[in-house]
Amino acid sequence: MSVLFEVQNAYVSYGSTEIVHGVSLSLERGELCAFLGLNGSGKTTLLRAVCGLIPMNGQVFVDGRSLKEMNERERARHLSFIPQTSSPIQGKTVMEVILMGANPYLGLLESPKGEHYRAAKTALKRLEIGDFADRHFHQLSQGQKQLVILARTLVQNSPVMLMDEPDSALDFCNRHMVLEKIRSVVKSEGKAGLITLHDPNFAMAYCDRLLLLKKGIVIAEADMRTAAEDEVREKLSMIYGKIELFSYTGGYLMGKSQ
Amino acid sequence: MNNKTSKLPQTIMFVAVIGFLIFTAVISICVGQYSISPEEIAQIITGGLKGEMSYKVFFTLRLPRVLMAVMAGIGLGIAGSVYQTIFKNPLASPDIIGVAPGANLGAAIAIVFMGASTVAMVSGAFTGGIAVVILVMLLVRVLPGNTTATYVLAGIVMSSVSKAFIMILKFFADPANELAAIEFWTMGSFASVTSRKVITIFPIFFFSLAGLILLRRQIELMSLNEDECRMLGVRLSQIRITILALSTLMVASIISITGLISFIGLIAPHIARMMLKRNNFAATAMSGLIGAVVMVISDTLARCVYSAEIPISILTTFIGVPVLVYFMYQQKENLL
Repeated sequence: MSVLFEVQNAYVSYGSTEIVHGVSLSLERGELCAFLGLNGSGKTTLLRAVCGLIPMNGQVFVDGRSLKEMNERERARHLSFIPQTSSPIQGKTVMEVILMGANPYLGLLESPKGEHYRAAKTALKRLEIGDFADRHFHQLSQGQKQLVILARTLVQNSPVMLMDEPDSALDFCNRHMVLEKIRSVVKSEGKAGLITLHDPNFAMAYCDRLLLLKKGIVIAEADMRTAAEDEVREKLSMIYGKIELFSYTGGYLMGKSQ
Repeated sequence: MNNKTSKLPQTIMFVAVIGFLIFTAVISICVGQYSISPEEIAQIITGGLKGEMSYKVFFTLRLPRVLMAVMAGIGLGIAGSVYQTIFKNPLASPDIIGVAPGANLGAAIAIVFMGASTVAMVSGAFTGGIAVVILVMLLVRVLPGNTTATYVLAGIVMSSVSKAFIMILKFFADPANELAAIEFWTMGSFASVTSRKVITIFPIFFFSLAGLILLRRQIELMSLNEDECRMLGVRLSQIRITILALSTLMVASIISITGLISFIGLIAPHIARMMLKRNNFAATAMSGLIGAVVMVISDTLARCVYSAEIPISILTTFIGVPVLVYFMYQQKENLL
């Protein structure tokens, strides 16, 4: 496996307050990795800094190329971002929303062409929402909206996918559905996925690796493919305090103990 | 509820509105103190009636005036729609970043200090509008945040400053002539439109309109949150400045000739969105056409409902409001 995505010594500040104090991480092709941490641990700040949305000290590499040398357009071909909830998009069809993903490949004044429409249709079929193309985006449910945004990311076709709690507005079933699709896209397309999540149970169920963030540093890391139950319990308790971990077929469930 | 896109194809609506625009434009050419019949218009276009009164009226008065009304409607309608999209604010209108107060100040300076000559007023209004928007952009540069909201705030600040200067000028202006002229300018009129003025501003108008049409995809992307927009590869600061510059040029070129025209830039985009039930660039184009229709009708009425010409803003408001209210009553969902 080859390293596809690398962050080296990321320091991020808001004004004079440093929020993230030197985080380094690397992701391989086909790996889905979760950022876990409590509110204010710096998950979202780090993610936004890595995206280049806020300034940071440190380096970010995609496929060996530094993101700092790239402008927005070039960066968008290497890195995509799914926010907690998408912008309020009114009066546009699903197709129009998905085609926005083709922007980094189009000249400033160019319009999407046949190949982009084909890519959009393939993305819709891939996520099993092939019949959505002509529907109005704002009439979809939250879960369906996130799938459409995921489809837009597929058209954007960047090797690295960053996601900031893409499940936060979803109900239990939609959460499983969306995370399952994200995992399957990362695996089948050989992308590197970094996702921040609130619920450790979902992270354990869908991610290959957990990065545990506390007060702006990665305090521990658990590889769900190899870690033993005790190791997972010990590491999760570094963030969540006293916990119980139960194993069931194919995974673990965490509960808070008194 | 109908989940699919509007059944009545967009093309039919566009053809209908363009047809109606041509119809109103022809009527507008016919109507006035000296009336021209549609047959005469046909003869003039095919090269007849040279040297006759109707020929002169057609070319020196009516045609430039109707063309200017169409251009003004298209320009203000499209600029309004673009502003509402990129500022993500249904109340944004073309003057949100200070172009109108700036033009107003420029015109007022021309009236008070430069003897209110045509050249002085047109160039004063144009430079005033552009200058204030440039100041807004400079202000945004020195402020820490560089978001769209910063532009709105800077626009409000510079508009207020311009208005204060206008008040100073009004206070010292001669009430009989200068004050009246300043006031009259803010109500807008097509009465002073000449073919020379139209030809002078046409290149600027056309250049900025073409630029906005070419940048349509970027304008649509700017309706997203700023983070999302940048992550889709939009070079936000450059694109935003370009779009604001183009629309400012367009609005300034129009209002430097006509004076302030209220309401069109605000309502035309809403009517267009409600008609098409969409919020995309087709709606922006439709907004331009709606603006043109309302403008041509308003200008026609301005010169025939009363013995003296009525300022255009009065009519654009009285015609625009019922149309807007009708569409608001009809609509089932909020499209912005």
